[in-house]
Amino acid sequence: MSRINRDTYIAIFLMVAWCVFLWASFDIRQIDYGTMGAEVWPRGILVILFGLTAVYLFQSIKAGPDVAADEPFTIGNWLRKYQNPLWCYGLYFIFLLTLPVFGMLIGGIALVFCLLTVLGERTPRFLMIHAAVAVISITGMWALFTFALGVILPQGMIFTTL
Amino acid sequence: MIIENIILAVQELATLKTLALMAVGTVAGLIAGAIPGFTIAMAVVLTLPFTFGMPPAQGLATMIGVFVGGLSGGLMSGILIGIPGTPSSVATTFDGFPMARGGNPGLALGLGVWSSFFGGIISAVLLVTLAPQLARIGLEFQPWDYFALIMFALTIAASLAGENLIKGLIAAAFGLLVATIGEDSINGIARFNFGSDALKQGFDFLPVLIGLFAFSQLLSDIEDRVRARKALTETGSVSARIEHRKAAIQVLKNWINLIRSSFIGVFTGILPAAGSTISNILAYDQAKKASKTPEKFGTGHAEGIVAPESANNATAGGALITMMALGIPGDIVTAVMLGALLIHDVIPSPSFISDTPVLAYAIFIAFFVANFLMLILQSGALRLFVLVTKVRMYILASIILAYCGIGIFALNNVTFDMWTLFWFGIVGYVMRNLGFPLAPMILGVVLGRIAELWLSRATAISTEITPFFTHPWSLFFIILSVFSLFFSAYQTQRGRKTWTLFFTPALLAMLSIPMFMMIGTVRPVLGGVLLAASAYLIFKLHRRGWKVDPSDADGHRLTEG
Repeated sequence: MSRINRDTYIAIFLMVAWCVFLWASFDIRQIDYGTMGAEVWPRGILVILFGLTAVYLFQSIKAGPDVAADEPFTIGNWLRKYQNPLWCYGLYFIFLLTLPVFGMLIGGIALVFCLLTVLGERTPRFLMIHAAVAVISITGMWALFTFALGVILPQGMIFTTL
Repeated sequence: MIIENIILAVQELATLKTLALMAVGTVAGLIAGAIPGFTIAMAVVLTLPFTFGMPPAQGLATMIGVFVGGLSGGLMSGILIGIPGTPSSVATTFDGFPMARGGNPGLALGLGVWSSFFGGIISAVLLVTLAPQLARIGLEFQPWDYFALIMFALTIAASLAGENLIKGLIAAAFGLLVATIGEDSINGIARFNFGSDALKQGFDFLPVLIGLFAFSQLLSDIEDRVRARKALTETGSVSARIEHRKAAIQVLKNWINLIRSSFIGVFTGILPAAGSTISNILAYDQAKKASKTPEKFGTGHAEGIVAPESANNATAGGALITMMALGIPGDIVTAVMLGALLIHDVIPSPSFISDTPVLAYAIFIAFFVANFLMLILQSGALRLFVLVTKVRMYILASIILAYCGIGIFALNNVTFDMWTLFWFGIVGYVMRNLGFPLAPMILGVVLGRIAELWLSRATAISTEITPFFTHPWSLFFIILSVFSLFFSAYQTQRGRKTWTLFFTPALLAMLSIPMFMMIGTVRPVLGGVLLAASAYLIFKLHRRGWKVDPSDADGHRLTEG
């Protein structure tokens, strides 16, 4: 069992993040227009964040180690617990990366179909339902935005060559 | 002049298209509000992309329809399946569900619907009367006052957001930091772009907001693999016919409870960052304390439905008052509406009502109309709700995730916004899981640039810090900010620790100081009243022997989750 509280790790991570921002704040160009400099406000916020995170760190150390969970922490358990969100983020990431190729219509249909398939059941009947839901929902939304709202959604290379 | 503005506003709204959009919005809000896990804020956020191409009045009217519908929708699932559709209907479940299980689901629904309607109408009246008055006060505000008001909004949001005040404050400050990324609005100098040209533009706050709130909420809803594959109806039976006549009579018989709860709703809504999540519990608590039959609460008592439902709908009016009069969002929903106004180049501020009176009156009228639409459409929405509850959670979530992307692209027609949505979706999800509240962060992102602007204006006039304490309104908000920092501790320790006895008297006494500093007669007199109230409370404590009352600890803890 870890002797360090989870909040302590978070507080240390946040401290490092604020240090990165503080370091980046020295790249902000300083001006002398007689107005408040562009670096003043973010540095003020960072000072507050450092103070608050220090209090958070102190609180977390004072609270002592975490109560042992029912299941021991392993990568496998963690992946099992968060598999749905991880799948969603992963698929969304691929959807965004491939958007210039597939466009919003094909990419959107593929995204919804894949999401439904990884989150739901994978029997042939459900695969048919998922395909129908993906096509109807995304085509409907695409048509609404394209024709009713006049938004030019990304077409993608495949759609344009077709 | 007022009549002329009202006529022009009616002309803007009284088109078949606008009314149809409002009706669709209200039904969408009713359904979204009824589905547990889908909050009102999410419904309004998802409506936003559709409103980009509409005129401001039409777009806002549609969003108000969703807002009002959402506030009333939560009661359907709360009463019929015992799971509140939104946090605004938590207290409705206490008596609504037992009444429905006791064989009166139609009456329980009717009481909820009519209480929501009357609560909405009372708050609409208060919105029309109070917003212009508050805006007049807002016009007196100087940069120091504005900056202090924003700080108060952030500290109260942090203190109401959850168990850990420090996490709330970190979230609020992080929101302010996120708002600094990109070119600053005063000098146009790039900040924290880390060499990226895309980051030079900064983040549009709507993708940030949708990512933090809607995206992360959806993933939290489907986190559990088994629950994600379930449909809502598996948890209970959902069918009933609303008993309108009987319910309306019973609500009107409870008129004192109705008015008290509506006022609680409106004034909770006026408070920055406090919304219907708090007001419904607060109103239920007060109704129970004031009732002649408090023992019946929790068993299916009509008073226990009237109080929370009238309060949560009335909160919408209060939140709109703050947004329209001061340009400060009363809650996440009004933060989105503020964003919608900014898209249409309308900047909410104290001069909003006088500068754009037609739009302001259109909002007032739309709020009235939305309450009537809610009443008319609730029965139909109930049937739709029964259908929607047959859909499995993961199907709804997958479609909405894709919709979030399409909708957010429509904002500026750039894929960078979709990436923003994605990254802030991760940030929001991680923050939720680590116990960091999102509401203060969202307010920080929304108010960050405005706060910097007012601070810059204040420092341009004087580099001294003293004006923050010598300007009465600024001092007023600083005192409120300081006390709001202790409010979280006060809530957990009241009834146990002696210091909590002095919290309210000290707050009242301190607030009397800026009131005495204000010009005119009324405000110093009000200061005197506050001081007298403080002295009276101290006198009562003295008579009680400075002893804490353990029954105070039993009250509900107010959190705007």
